[in-house]
Amino acid sequence: MRLVTSDGELIQRAATGDHSAFEDLYRRYARPVFGLALRRLGDRGRAEDAVQETFASIWRSAASYRPEKGPGAPWLYAVARNAIVDRARARTEIPSDLPDEAAAGPGPSDRAEQGWVAWRVHRALEELPEREREVLALAYWSGLSQSEVAEFLSIPLGTVKTRTRAALAKLSEILGDDLQ
Amino acid sequence: MSNFDDLVDREGLAADEEARLRRVHDLLVQAGPPPDLPPGLERPPTAPAEAELVQFPLMPRRRWTLAAVAAIALVVLAFGGGYLVGHAKTTATTFATKRVVPMHGSNALAVLRVAPKDSAGNWPMQLEINNLPTQHDPRAYYELWLTRDGKPIAPCGTFRVNARTTTIRLSVPYDFKGFDGWVVTKQGAGKHEPGPVVLTT
Repeated sequence: MRLVTSDGELIQRAATGDHSAFEDLYRRYARPVFGLALRRLGDRGRAEDAVQETFASIWRSAASYRPEKGPGAPWLYAVARNAIVDRARARTEIPSDLPDEAAAGPGPSDRAEQGWVAWRVHRALEELPEREREVLALAYWSGLSQSEVAEFLSIPLGTVKTRTRAALAKLSEILGDDLQ
Repeated sequence: MSNFDDLVDREGLAADEEARLRRVHDLLVQAGPPPDLPPGLERPPTAPAEAELVQFPLMPRRRWTLAAVAAIALVVLAFGGGYLVGHAKTTATTFATKRVVPMHGSNALAVLRVAPKDSAGNWPMQLEINNLPTQHDPRAYYELWLTRDGKPIAPCGTFRVNARTTTIRLSVPYDFKGFDGWVVTKQGAGKHEPGPVVLTT
């Protein structure tokens, strides 16, 4: 059973000027917001600015959050997306010649879906214990084999597999309905 | 490597549980790695700490009518200045908040708490600021203003920042009805007109 304060509760507390609630939101969402901004803007400097703007917006508009309309994560996602889109619009120049053919790669709806998945997964990763998050990062994104992960962390291979499974189980619990 | 069968020990794993873990695995692969945060974003805003509070004369900076200037200056000097001096070294304690006003700047955040009007007719306020730059010039300071049409009109107090987080207490005698918000301006030494806005509501 998870006994973690919900995002919605934190947003409501932030709306009353509660700094610690705002800090908790920041810890949970700084990385997902930065990831979303990087994906959309393609530039670390602008993405960093977008994170600042997003959290300023969260602080400014937390009182507009209505828990009866849904949980906190989609509301935060909407605030972040708006801040990022605003920043993208501010810098985008209209091309003088429009392309004749549609660009290759995912369309807007696919990109939105990918963005939402990454947002939820990266947010969920923030709740894992450091040692489990570390094992997942190495196992999934470092290119190392499980044996190499074990060697890198100086732990038995069985422990790597146990932590990986435990981490996936916790993520499953955190992600909940998103797995449907 | 991102093959589920290689990553997870499936011994003793029920079918439905394995299905859930596989779904999580697929989402992890789809999401890709979370980015490393740049140094500037690593630290979350921290809880407000006690502030250095500097006494400045709270004279109006704008040319109101002579009567208004005289009245406000007298009241502010008598009550506001005294309040500031009296509270310069107090610690942050429970503050009877009637109204909470979030403020924001390009890299800074703040919350202004307004308490109920006291028996003398002043509005005690507590301003908690996070991430405003410290002043290099020892004579520079920040100033809180009430605004009308977004423009700083009535001064509410001046302060300096010497830490990442700062909490100050102020008190003003104004009726808030004629105003539409607050701003904090950056004031250079000897500059009495409102400086650049660094925080706004």
